Amino acid sequence: MSDTMANWTPGDDAMVENAIRRGADRRELLRMMLAGGVALSAGGAILGRAGAALAAEPVKGGHLKIAGFAASTADTLDPAKASNATDYTRCCALYNRLTFINGAGLVTMELAESVESTDAKTWTVTLRKGVTFHDGKSLTAKDVVFSLKRHLDPATGSKVATLAKQFAEVTATDDRTVTITLAAANADLPTILGLHHFMIVADGTTDFSKGNGTGAFVLKEFKPGVRSVMARNDNYFKKGPYFDTFEYFAIADEPARLNAVLSGDIHVGANLNPRSLRVIEGNPSIAPFISKLGSYGNFILRLDMAPGDKAGVAEGFKYLVNRPVIQKSVLRGLAEIANDQPIPSWSPYYNAELKQREFDPERAKSLFQKAGILGPEIRVTVSDAASSSADYAAVLQQAGGKIGLNLVIDRVPADGYWSNYWLKEAFHAGNINARPTPDIMFSLFYQSNAPWNESRYKSPKFDAMLLEARGLLDLSKRKQIYGEMQAMVANEAGTVIPVFQSNLDGVSPKLKGLVANPLGGMMGYTLPEYTWFGA
Amino acid sequence: MSVSLSSTEAPRRWRIGYRISPVGAVAFLVILAWAVVAVIAPLIAPHPVGEIVDFDFFQPMSAAYPMGTDYLGRDVLSRILFGARYTVGISLASVAIACFCGVTLGMAAAVIGGFFDAALSRFLDALISIPSKIMALVLVAAVGSSMPVLILTLAVIYTPGSYRFARALAVNVNAMDYVTVARVRGERLGHLIRAEILPGIIGPVLADLGLRFVFIVLLLSSMSFLGLGVQPPNADWGALVKENIGGLSLAAPAVIFPLIAIASLTISVNLLIDNLPQKIRDRSAA
Amino acid sequence: MNSLILRMVAGRLVVALVTLLIVAVVIFFATALLPGDVVQILLGQAATPEAVKGLRTAMHLDQPAALRFLLWLKNLATGDLGVSYVNNIPVAELIGNRLGNSLKLAAVTAAISVPVALTLGVTAAILRGTLVDRMIAVFTIAVISVPEFLVATLAVIVFAVTLGWLPALSMTGDVTTISGLLKAFAMPVITLSFVISAQMIRMSRAAVIETLNAPYVEMALLKGASRRRMVLRHALPNALGPIVNAVALSLSYLLGGVIIVETIFNYPGIAKLMLDAVSTRDLPLIQGCAMIFCLAYLLLITIADIVTIVSNPRLRHA
Repeated sequence: MSDTMANWTPGDDAMVENAIRRGADRRELLRMMLAGGVALSAGGAILGRAGAALAAEPVKGGHLKIAGFAASTADTLDPAKASNATDYTRCCALYNRLTFINGAGLVTMELAESVESTDAKTWTVTLRKGVTFHDGKSLTAKDVVFSLKRHLDPATGSKVATLAKQFAEVTATDDRTVTITLAAANADLPTILGLHHFMIVADGTTDFSKGNGTGAFVLKEFKPGVRSVMARNDNYFKKGPYFDTFEYFAIADEPARLNAVLSGDIHVGANLNPRSLRVIEGNPSIAPFISKLGSYGNFILRLDMAPGDKAGVAEGFKYLVNRPVIQKSVLRGLAEIANDQPIPSWSPYYNAELKQREFDPERAKSLFQKAGILGPEIRVTVSDAASSSADYAAVLQQAGGKIGLNLVIDRVPADGYWSNYWLKEAFHAGNINARPTPDIMFSLFYQSNAPWNESRYKSPKFDAMLLEARGLLDLSKRKQIYGEMQAMVANEAGTVIPVFQSNLDGVSPKLKGLVANPLGGMMGYTLPEYTWFGA
Repeated sequence: MSVSLSSTEAPRRWRIGYRISPVGAVAFLVILAWAVVAVIAPLIAPHPVGEIVDFDFFQPMSAAYPMGTDYLGRDVLSRILFGARYTVGISLASVAIACFCGVTLGMAAAVIGGFFDAALSRFLDALISIPSKIMALVLVAAVGSSMPVLILTLAVIYTPGSYRFARALAVNVNAMDYVTVARVRGERLGHLIRAEILPGIIGPVLADLGLRFVFIVLLLSSMSFLGLGVQPPNADWGALVKENIGGLSLAAPAVIFPLIAIASLTISVNLLIDNLPQKIRDRSAA
Repeated sequence: MNSLILRMVAGRLVVALVTLLIVAVVIFFATALLPGDVVQILLGQAATPEAVKGLRTAMHLDQPAALRFLLWLKNLATGDLGVSYVNNIPVAELIGNRLGNSLKLAAVTAAISVPVALTLGVTAAILRGTLVDRMIAVFTIAVISVPEFLVATLAVIVFAVTLGWLPALSMTGDVTTISGLLKAFAMPVITLSFVISAQMIRMSRAAVIETLNAPYVEMALLKGASRRRMVLRHALPNALGPIVNAVALSLSYLLGGVIIVETIFNYPGIAKLMLDAVSTRDLPLIQGCAMIFCLAYLLLITIADIVTIVSNPRLRHA
């Protein structure tokens, strides 16, 4: 029997592997898979595959070199300020989170032993014993309180201040217990605590350039915009890490990053162009490492400005965007077709009943005719800041030309795009990184008063449903509500979401233990901790 | 002392009227051909510039796509034909402006000297030491992005260099006896720089113009990536090379042909300048 | 003559200060025109009004920009370049390391490309109109017509990926041996030499040819001097002014303009530092880098101007 099943994703493989690593036995695993609807014989095949991946025992030693795509003087080791793959990777090596979102997208415990609540409003976090910071201090509840509360202070410059706002009260009950009281019930708190920005730092830290955390590596050298060097933390509370030392720097030029892996100068080149797959495939000195993320680039038609304010215009563009061409030509297959709503098919909350919108230029034409926007110039603002947006627009422009739509592409500088054009232009490109729960996605981008409500979508019904689902601990009920909300976004909002983009890292074939993670490329940026050099 | 006297003794074969050397003729024809292509591109291009003709990318040369396809599966030949408009047009316009302003100011500074020279030199020195990227970004932020802005930006970036070079040459010529004589004669500034100084520096100035042209062709590609000027789906040749750079390790024609186009134009411009008839190069002989 | 040069250098020092001030003011206004300030850029998508306000206060950026600029100028007078907005590291420290790297790369490149370029340029002038001259011309233009990023990428593909002779990255920080240093520098230096040589070759050829047309050279020729002797003894000294100016302009590119080479070979130099500073609107760092570029440029052109004066007897008495 074939072991490639429609509903079995690499994420599931990862889940099985993780479970094995945690020490689950075969029967437990099969039960897990049966629950997921996998036939018994196929389950055996999957176990075999996961077993093979694990057969090679991790080997200690070696100097790992990773090149990311961006580094600047703004590089930081402050997890609250972390803003890109470079910061995330360094922070993941130096610090830990209370919870961890694994390859299957499920929440596991890291610094916390448990995160529990009966009403989704008051949460009790119990900390793991015997964890120490690099400077020798033991982890206590005070550190957790400090780490979470600092996001509320504007002076911190936290990237997740909007999410942290719901922490009404964070108190240390005793040395190992923290009580978090939320402003309103939120069943997703364990997932939120697994976001990169909520890493735990030592109480009272003001200078983050030392990178004093509980993580797998200890900082040796950190020069913003140049490089960082770390060494293995021999007192680490988990198994691993395996590398002696780990060096991270950035090569902004994509071909140069690819070539550096090919020549053996580095072991991981992050964020490669999908087109580089052709070079990578069949080359023995490099292997592709693909992660499905649920990130997407979109077109935003503001519903409060022309032309998006006319009925049917946004819908017309949803029909005019040729998703298969974007998937195949622009992203070279490293993409999944999306349906104008931000929840990808591998999310447990995905609404599979929602009909996929197909490419239908005739329908777009009649909608545009009705709205009277055929003929005059319509400008779409794109930028290299929103990756591939100029190419997406070229595809849209080509289809538009055939139905008499006069679409003009206006490419503006990447520098300052997010503060100057994003959210401001009538018709423009955006770029959204995946967030692990529908609640976060919807509250950040579609709630009526959301700061980043890209298309100014306003629906009191939607807002009420969002609040209702947030407090529910019952999964199937939430799934139903989120499903309905996906349909609302797909049909009513002014955001055109053509595809979800996958991430491609180029890695040395020597590197073992790779498991894709939905939080980002390079195993959700935790690659240095979990991988090792094979023979 | 008269310059025309000395020029009669100048290298032999350059003296015969407007005869153009074969190399110069070929170079001129290449430039002319590209100029014609720039004008009639829509008539001869097999595909619209933005059309994705094939799902496959970086295709090799074939009968259907003589220069292969680019990173999105678009016809490279069509894109080069359309790109000629931007590369030839914008580069020629901005190099002409930059060199005209730079050389005129340079000569004027050398002739007038004194405070005018010092002030202008210091100001342009300051301008030159501000990195062009900041300058370009500021211009886009301040006045928006359009074709005239692009041309002027490129011209502004290359004027100070042209000025410096022309001034250095003109200062030497200005010290010559015949210029002093003309000055004593009471000639006006316009006459001095046009009739006395320019003929003495025209050779290096033209060589400088040829080089600046190359630099502008290349800088143009960076500009369009900054979001200045040439808007997608159109692209100048430098941008074509840049957007298809990933095809280099696949030896894709999509990266090689735009490069050949650039080289054919820039080499022709410089060879033409090198082989201009002496009567044009050195007007003092007239 | 010496006193003339001394007077000129002293004058230049004063003028340099004025130029630096002009640059500082222009940079200040230019940066002010750029969209977004350091706080908005640092917060990125998270830049809600209250977050911006809070962080601005925390970073002491709530004073008017003009006041901050004047304070910076005052500190500059005492030799203090200020502290970077984004990471609180002194600008002098940030620039220090990387300026050293940039100067190293520039020095090696200049040491190789200037003699080669001038030899080729003068040779082309001596052999003007011959096949050699034409070949040098076509070769030079062909070389600069190839964009820098392509030369660099091609070099990496050939020498690092296919042949495996050289490292793809120039991580000179970890290099301890001489051969390692040579290997690390090889590709960046070759790439940069390609870029800057062309201008020097073309300009020196043009300048020498121009002086060959001058009357006194004709005279020398009539007196029976050999062509080569004529060029080296008579034409070259007189062409020196423009040549040195071309060299100075080419070399000034080696500090601020090498951004592509720094990026592709991951070489931590000062050009990338300035680019970072601009994209984060880190004004003290932008200003610091601009001051360095301006000083280097002024130094180069002052040398060029001195050479021009020394080489032309007529200007000495002017």
